[in-house]
Amino acid sequence: MGAYRHFPILMITVPLVCAVLLPFLGYLRERWVPRAALVPLSVSTLLGLLLVGKIPAQGYLSYHLGGWEPPFGIEIRVDYIGLFLLLVVCGISLLAMVFSPRYIGKEVSGGRLTAYYVLFLLMSGAMLGFVATGDVFNLFVFMEILALTSYALVAITGNRNAVRAAFKYLLMGAPSSIMVLLAIGLLYSATGSLNMADLSARIAESGYTEVLVVSFILFVIGFGVKAALFPLHMWLPDAHSIAPSPISAMLSGLLVEVSAFALLRLTFSVFTAGNDAIIGGTSEAVSVFAAAAVLYGGIMAIMQKDLKVMIAYSTISHIGYIFLGITSFTKEGLAGAMYHMLDHGLAKACLFLCAGCIIYVKGYRRIEDLKGAWRQMPWTCFAFSVAAISVIGIPPTAGFISKFYLIYGNFTAERWPYALVLLVGAILAAVYCLRVIYYMFFQPDKRGAWEEGGGDAPASMLAPVCLLAAGTLFFGVFSGLIIDSLLKAAAFLL
Amino acid sequence: MPDKSAFSVIPLVAVLLPWFSLVVITASPKKARGLRLWLCALGALATFGVVLSLLPGILDGNTYTIKLASVVEGLEMRLTVDTLGYYFSLILAFLWLLATVYSISYIDHKENRFFVFMALCESFLIGCAFSANMFTYFIFYELMTFGSYPLIIHEETAMARRAGYKYLVYAISAGTVLFFAIVAHYFWGDGQLGFGSYGVLSLEFAGRAALMTVFFTYLAGFGVKAAIMPLHGWVPDAHPAAPSPASALLSGVILKAGAFGIIRVCFNVFGVELMRDLKVHVVMAVLACITIVVASVFALTQDNLKRRLAYSSIGQVSYIILGLSMLSHDGALGGVMHLTHHALMKGCLFLCAGVILVKTGKKNISDMKGIGYKLPITMICFSVCALAMMGTPPSVGFITKWLLGSGSLEAGLPVYVIVLLVSALLNAAYFLPIIYTAFFRWEGDEAEEGEEHHRPKLAFGKEADHEMVVPIVILAALVVIVGIWVTVPGFPYSFVSKVVGIIFP
Repeated sequence: MGAYRHFPILMITVPLVCAVLLPFLGYLRERWVPRAALVPLSVSTLLGLLLVGKIPAQGYLSYHLGGWEPPFGIEIRVDYIGLFLLLVVCGISLLAMVFSPRYIGKEVSGGRLTAYYVLFLLMSGAMLGFVATGDVFNLFVFMEILALTSYALVAITGNRNAVRAAFKYLLMGAPSSIMVLLAIGLLYSATGSLNMADLSARIAESGYTEVLVVSFILFVIGFGVKAALFPLHMWLPDAHSIAPSPISAMLSGLLVEVSAFALLRLTFSVFTAGNDAIIGGTSEAVSVFAAAAVLYGGIMAIMQKDLKVMIAYSTISHIGYIFLGITSFTKEGLAGAMYHMLDHGLAKACLFLCAGCIIYVKGYRRIEDLKGAWRQMPWTCFAFSVAAISVIGIPPTAGFISKFYLIYGNFTAERWPYALVLLVGAILAAVYCLRVIYYMFFQPDKRGAWEEGGGDAPASMLAPVCLLAAGTLFFGVFSGLIIDSLLKAAAFLL
Repeated sequence: MPDKSAFSVIPLVAVLLPWFSLVVITASPKKARGLRLWLCALGALATFGVVLSLLPGILDGNTYTIKLASVVEGLEMRLTVDTLGYYFSLILAFLWLLATVYSISYIDHKENRFFVFMALCESFLIGCAFSANMFTYFIFYELMTFGSYPLIIHEETAMARRAGYKYLVYAISAGTVLFFAIVAHYFWGDGQLGFGSYGVLSLEFAGRAALMTVFFTYLAGFGVKAAIMPLHGWVPDAHPAAPSPASALLSGVILKAGAFGIIRVCFNVFGVELMRDLKVHVVMAVLACITIVVASVFALTQDNLKRRLAYSSIGQVSYIILGLSMLSHDGALGGVMHLTHHALMKGCLFLCAGVILVKTGKKNISDMKGIGYKLPITMICFSVCALAMMGTPPSVGFITKWLLGSGSLEAGLPVYVIVLLVSALLNAAYFLPIIYTAFFRWEGDEAEEGEEHHRPKLAFGKEADHEMVVPIVILAALVVIVGIWVTVPGFPYSFVSKVVGIIFP
């Protein structure tokens, strides 16, 4: 074992520690803060990339904090799927961070500037920890950091609507955190352990008990709120649309996905998928709700007038996709769900950042106002289109690959109605995405709101947007390696 | 046939070469319109040249292949040029070249957008033709769907927008159905999406119901582009709305991409034996017969020339489907050859309609009195193609009809001959009035007996720009030449007889 053994913990702690140090820099030299905040995220990304291919043969990399052996010590555990998601989190956070300075400089007043970057780093670090942790209690701790920072970031502009949206988010988020805590308590009372691997062994030993079932249901509801699984999604449209765009991108592109990932983790690594008595009924219910989410989110997105609210509803729909993949309990479905976390993350982050570009340059939020936008903002509009096409799932974007596997997984599980729902979801997505593209490129700009050569967004905003769009194309064409290892990892989980 | 499969980058070059136009258009100065557009035509010529360079090898029975990217085992993006795919790519690159030259003079506004999307569509269609499996085919097919949208709405009138909207609704629904078909194919085809010489699916892996689901979802998915009734709704709106070169390509090639998909499904995915086993060809035949007859009847009632031509296309593309459904040697031969035949004829007819529109501003047949005197070359070419559509020898239309007739007798179903005859009759009923109006009527021809008739003079040499007339003449000449020297290497028969010869020995 080389030095890379320490990389996972460094990936998590570097952003967290830097977040604590950042206020001092902010006190001394505030204008250095945005650039300084890039450093820890770059370090994490680099460490993550260096870890690729270094996962040992046993399937995971385990790190014992302070040398204390689990089940008593704290364990960080990175397997293939975990590393994959860690990289997604690092990459998208880094790009959202690059996007931030110009945008936030305009929306957030001076005093809160440092706070924004501190919270951002805390959120990213917490997400990384949330994904990599090997025990249930740290899952809760990181989840709480994540939740608290996201409440604050939604409200960071301080205007009335933002505060109200954040409060609504808090009202739903706080009970859900308590439910997760309760679930962890029940789990501990039933098994006497908090380490995931240990829990899994003990649950396999004890078999079915009612306490376990209740605990699992509480987990599902708790993380269901965080992942905005229909009907627990009410907070999402407000919070995601009112938050500053880079934060919307983080919330929509990453936060809901890591929450879904936590559930995936618990389902497969703790309650072990084969254990039908415990999770069978609940997963049936989750499938139904996920299918409802796909349709509801799609229909609501079609009805929206505000661009960011539309994207937010689309997220609700796509969370349904992910859950339909997970609940198929096939390796193809799981791989599809994981790949969807990647491409939905990229595409949604891109869409929200594009919306951010438009708000930054013109201040427009309504879809109506986008008529003829491409004459002034060609790069933004092209990037938006590519990402939107990935959201629909049209080849050769990454969305196509994940949709293929999601539907294929549901085929394999012989869940025909759900396969059909996924197809209908794609049609709904086509309706709401193509409308925007149509407005941007093919509608005449009657009011003369957009002027040719009027200037696209600045380069520091366009670069991340275009990289994200290029990413959806890249991972659409060169998906082979990732899908291959995801299929292997999914087979390992099952 | 010896299986000589060689790695080659030429397929990829052919797919990427049209992008050259994109570079030209973005890089060249705004003022040099002529130079820019002629460079685009040069790009189309180069693409055709590259495709042509594969001809000797293909005639030798070689295949060329290049892998682009791989997802997992059985799911990869791969371009393979086999005889059938090459056959499609040849006609499409040729028609594209002519339409691009024609557009230089035809398109008068937003030509940059038009030429860029023309070129992109060509790239995607060549990708379709060279696809080695359904996965790749679907990717290029979907790209082509979206690439052709700006061509349809190019005029940006309310009518064009409505037509474009209808096109998208149809195309996206079809894309979803097709997507379902591919997943089902992958699932029940044991993880194989490739094309095999005799089909790849078999009853070993899946039940009858499952395979029929796959077949009919494919038929419905491709049937929207191939305009099989009742899935044809977008065609009569899109053709009149699009600029004429785009309509020519729409009818000549893009509709064929759907038909080509069905050919692939029949020959290379299911195979003739399995189709016969499942009896799915009966459904295909019934749909095709209904489409042929009903579309022709609809065409009779249209006064708008391009709309009439559009309905005619709907009927004619179903000749291909009918030929496939006969499951006989001559039927398949005639059906697949009709892909090129119809592209030549209908391409020419739409280009003629474009000349009429540009030079006289007339859209409706009832206004076209005496137009043959104003535009003699155009209307002579139009008449040649119209006669060919009816099946008059010597022309490609006759060859198709002959082979289809012979194929239906071979299959022991003379009822198809009756359908073909009815169709020929209806074709005559809607094409002859156009010729009649053009040459035998003129303004003021309703004069009383004894009064002087002012028959106009034939205005040779004064009609349209050479960019528009030359492609029309070339196409009309080919309609006759290919109809006479059928077996010349490089003409449809040389490819199709090889493909069909393997399937029906």
